Amino acid sequence: MKMIRTENITKKYKRYKKQEGVIGSIKGLFHREYEEKIAVDAFNMDVDEGEFIGLIGPNGAGKTTLVKMLTGIIAPTGGEIQVMGFYPNKLEKAFKRQYAVVMGQKSQLFFELTAEDTLRLFKEIYRIPEDEYRKNKNFFVELFQVQEIMDVQVRTLSLGERMKMELIVALLHNPKILFLDEPTIGLDAVASKQIRTFLKNINESRGTTILLTSHYMEDIKALCKRSIVVNYGRKIYDGDTDMLFEQYQKSKKMTIYFEHSVEPDVPEYCRILEKTNDKLVLEIPKQNTEKVLESYIGHYPIRDIGIEEEEIGSVVERIYKGV
Amino acid sequence: MKDNFKFLIELMKLRLSHIMTFRLGFFGPFFIDTSYFLVQLFAFEAIYGHVDKIRGWGHGEILVFVGTFSLINALNMIIYFFGVISIPEKIQTGELDLYLTKPVNPLLRITFEKINPGSIPLLAFSACIIAYGVKEIDMGFSWSNIIKYLFLVFMMTILYYDMELLIRCCAFFVFSVNNLTKIEETAIGLCLKVPGIAFYGIYKFIFYCVLPYGIIATLPTQALIGALSVKGLFFGMAIVCIFTFFALSFWSYGVHRYESASS
Repeated sequence: MKMIRTENITKKYKRYKKQEGVIGSIKGLFHREYEEKIAVDAFNMDVDEGEFIGLIGPNGAGKTTLVKMLTGIIAPTGGEIQVMGFYPNKLEKAFKRQYAVVMGQKSQLFFELTAEDTLRLFKEIYRIPEDEYRKNKNFFVELFQVQEIMDVQVRTLSLGERMKMELIVALLHNPKILFLDEPTIGLDAVASKQIRTFLKNINESRGTTILLTSHYMEDIKALCKRSIVVNYGRKIYDGDTDMLFEQYQKSKKMTIYFEHSVEPDVPEYCRILEKTNDKLVLEIPKQNTEKVLESYIGHYPIRDIGIEEEEIGSVVERIYKGV
Repeated sequence: MKDNFKFLIELMKLRLSHIMTFRLGFFGPFFIDTSYFLVQLFAFEAIYGHVDKIRGWGHGEILVFVGTFSLINALNMIIYFFGVISIPEKIQTGELDLYLTKPVNPLLRITFEKINPGSIPLLAFSACIIAYGVKEIDMGFSWSNIIKYLFLVFMMTILYYDMELLIRCCAFFVFSVNNLTKIEETAIGLCLKVPGIAFYGIYKFIFYCVLPYGIIATLPTQALIGALSVKGLFFGMAIVCIFTFFALSFWSYGVHRYESASS
């Protein structure tokens, strides 16, 4: 069953082009020039039930605009859109009962109250019967191991704990689709990993269709079988995530902290991104990562070492150029 | 309807819990609103202490008028004022996004999510002034007039809401509604001090039909003192229906043209 279907969906905004200075502002009072900004351009997408899809793209690519159109927050300028058979911007209650959205930068929780209080309100919003409410709440609370913080003021929770609560609140009514807009933004590695494990569990055990937008390659790689890459509002890749990384991710970033000041040798195929007395940041061709790692470990006094996936911008640029 | 009621009860319980988290936040408004009310009363006494009659209304009628305005304003402050005034901010910051994605009417939620019990004493003060005014008028009151009065207080509370909503909904289309709220404040300030019966010609048209703050306390007062004609009653009801229709349509129009804020 198709959960989401879009055909040539487009979103255009009109922006006022202000001329420079006070004279420009005065002119603007009488005559205004507008420019058209295309946030999403003739976008086609089909999503099947139970899929876990990653929506990738740099800032301003149109990911959030797309999620806002799919959830009915904004109306598309053109094209056709159907989510579970509904036109989202009609904002029908029957539609809204079947999905949930978590926006990493907008909270649904009441900061001065406890997460338990917010859950009670959401029980009424979604009209969840008492026994189902208790069952779901206990399930998620146990899964996330958050028993201890359910009756703590939300504003005293850490960012990671708060995000767990956001997800519990969102999933309480068993949505068929979960839209996640940058859920791991600002989280440390441990919290991000917990969130990822949780999402994977939900997708597999409950069959919830999940659409995840993220800047972090780790999120996409760990969770999404299928990825859609967006740039300038257009779809530039739609397919297997492993293939995407295999084909377009050419390098990794390695950060090495030394115990004391050293002058390490850098292989010629590596690019130095940053170098101080006790820190070295390198861009390494993906296939040579292990070799470089071996050449440093044991040969230099290493305090810490980290390997990161290549930034999303570089991958997108490569797909765009077709190299 | 029953589900909305249960939701509203839960929303209000949350609001009360929220307010009571901060003791000063809970008790503060009682003192502030009481002080505000006393200032208004002194201002009224300063003006009307030297005026015998305004188009047939004496001191007693004016007291009923001021008490009624204060009563409707208190209902506004207790029930929906703080919710409705948050609409422009919710639109500008994109906070409205989360309201639109929930299966309850977003306007219903916004309207009742910031009830303010701090204004409850205002209700009692207003009732005292109305009672004092009634005593000064020294005339018999029929049950029919009292029922008409209570009905019109209810209707005018809705009208007050409509006006607040209409102005705040402009935030869907313009960057700031500050200048519009200044017009609102000025009109309310004027109509709180001068009863609608004192307006003539174009002013009467403006304050009865365009910015109908002029009828908010005037019509209920006329009903209570038995001076309201059937035509006047129907006029009041028609204005409330028209403004309610416009306010809800404007909200709905705005929501469907909402562009959200960039994240």
